[in-house]
Amino acid sequence: MIVCSNCKHGNMAGAMFCAECGAQLVGKDALTTQNISTDKFKKVTNIPADDMYQPFDGSDAWGSLHLLDTGQVLPLSSRNEFTMGRISEGQPIMPDIDLSPYQAYAAGVSRLHAVIRRDGGRLIFMDLGSSNGTYINGKRLLPNVEQSLSHGDVVALGKLKMQILLKRNE
Amino acid sequence: MSASKPDYYAVLGVFRDATQEEIKRAYLEAAQRLHPDKNVAAGETELFLGAQQAYEVLSNPKRRSQYDATLPPEVEVNKDIKHELHFSRPNLVKLGEDQLVYVLLEVAPRDETTENIAAPPLNLCLVLDRSTSMQGEKLDILKATAIQLLRSLRPQDVLSIVAFSDRAEVVVPASISLDKKKQEGRIQMMQASGATEIFNGLDAGLKEIRRTLDPSRVNHIILLTDGQTYGDEQACLQLAEQAAAQNVGITGMGIGHEWNDIFLDALAGKTGGSSAYISKPKDIERLLVEKFQALVSTYADDVLLEYKEQDDVKINYVFRLQPDAGPIEVGSPMRLGPILRDVHLQVLIELVVKPEALNGDNATILNGFLKTSIAARPMPVPPIRLHLTREVHQTPSSDPPPTRILSALSRLTLYRMQERAQVAVDAGQFEVAVRHLQNLATHLLSQGEHSLAKTALFEAENLERMHAWSASGNKDIKYSTRALLLGGGKEKK
Repeated sequence: MIVCSNCKHGNMAGAMFCAECGAQLVGKDALTTQNISTDKFKKVTNIPADDMYQPFDGSDAWGSLHLLDTGQVLPLSSRNEFTMGRISEGQPIMPDIDLSPYQAYAAGVSRLHAVIRRDGGRLIFMDLGSSNGTYINGKRLLPNVEQSLSHGDVVALGKLKMQILLKRNE
Repeated sequence: MSASKPDYYAVLGVFRDATQEEIKRAYLEAAQRLHPDKNVAAGETELFLGAQQAYEVLSNPKRRSQYDATLPPEVEVNKDIKHELHFSRPNLVKLGEDQLVYVLLEVAPRDETTENIAAPPLNLCLVLDRSTSMQGEKLDILKATAIQLLRSLRPQDVLSIVAFSDRAEVVVPASISLDKKKQEGRIQMMQASGATEIFNGLDAGLKEIRRTLDPSRVNHIILLTDGQTYGDEQACLQLAEQAAAQNVGITGMGIGHEWNDIFLDALAGKTGGSSAYISKPKDIERLLVEKFQALVSTYADDVLLEYKEQDDVKINYVFRLQPDAGPIEVGSPMRLGPILRDVHLQVLIELVVKPEALNGDNATILNGFLKTSIAARPMPVPPIRLHLTREVHQTPSSDPPPTRILSALSRLTLYRMQERAQVAVDAGQFEVAVRHLQNLATHLLSQGEHSLAKTALFEAENLERMHAWSASGNKDIKYSTRALLLGGGKEKK
């Protein structure tokens, strides 16, 4: 028996792809997006924005993503639209922001997961049909439907949580 | 063997170890096909006499053994068809549990033979749905395409057209000499009305095919419908079996989303054909013309895999990768479908090997033979023996699986996930179906199929909320994942 490393389904010896989740079991070990359960997804309590608000480098940045698990801050600048996801081998379309250094694979981030866009004074967030979903303050988004964001919102790509910080004087 | 003496076994298309019964059956088949009462083509009377002579010798045990003594050792080289086998692993492992092995079977014409053999003439019947729902664009395009096909016929081809709703009528009867202007006029007159009853159309279509039925033609029915048929599915399937027995192929084409894809797949599958999905009326023309061209380029129109059922090895799943991707009904004999001149037949077989099969150093996983008939030639083609074995080792091989099988399976896996979602929906297990679709979407996304991934996710969402597919969702996913398999076949070239 071969146990699928992705979904733990027991496959018959000699199987090449998992009968349950379709993950490749033999040959080149290509990574597939992990499937995580979102049943126990709790609403993230809003951390007071002021405590979290840290100054960040790059004065031309219009906002930043604060990764809650690791505390890193990713400034957003130079353009108005960023796709987010993780880069892996043989991928046709690369995301602008690669989250793979931040345990994106384990958190269930799809290769092309979501997009964040600045539209005038508004900030827009959209799920790109990800496998494990995108959440704003714990609420799951419909794929490909735009949602507006405000300063301090906590978004989650799968289980990877981050807080949206906007530059105030804009 | 002296040049003057024909190989009687080859004449009848049997193996040298054929039983008397097999020889008799082969002779009767040949006699039916070649009988001078039916065949007027030059040279066929000689073939008939040849078959008769072969039977006279081989049916008599004494004369047969005398004849056998004069034969050189049997070398199994088929002059017309070649085949290749690829296994997912080089050996089986001695295990106390069931294990899987995949076999990719490829059947193709020998290169040198295609030039000598002319493209076979067609005996084609279009069975067209003209129920009320076809009104408007669909019927208009259908008429225009039918006329286009009529005009592109070669002089040797026969095209008949049957229109059906709750009753069927022959629009263009099967006949060799066509007054095309008159036929075009009759096609133009077709009007939409009534309900959909496929049996009536299919029955009338098969009758037309039989009027000019000829083993040296490609005999084929294309059924085009946009609706469900009620209550006559079983009768239709029986009709398809009769058609298959006479080597008449059936292709099903469904327009829109109201037709029953599982039924149409089963119906076409009985004859080694497949079904296609036409989501937009403007695709009618393209798909029909493509199918027409595929039929014209047929090399062998029927490939049968006959095998001995084994207790310790089960054929679990069979899927044709090309020319028309689609599932094949498991059973002996299996109709694998046609071999085209430029597109080889590729079939993937999934076998489950039980521990009992691993007693010796070698395990037989499939024992049978391939039978083909080449449409443009009345002579039977000698069958090809398939005796598939694998060595049994104590430890698994560390060789990576062959990339052909890996890439075919990676795409087939997507199709099967869709199938599993369908099964789960039918069983009312919506959570399972949603999970399958979400997994499917992940893989589609990773293969760059973004729009299809979105469709899968949209359907998952739909199933979660409404416990039902959207209007066209399951067909979109099913036939698009099938189309990915075709992409795989082209890539290789």
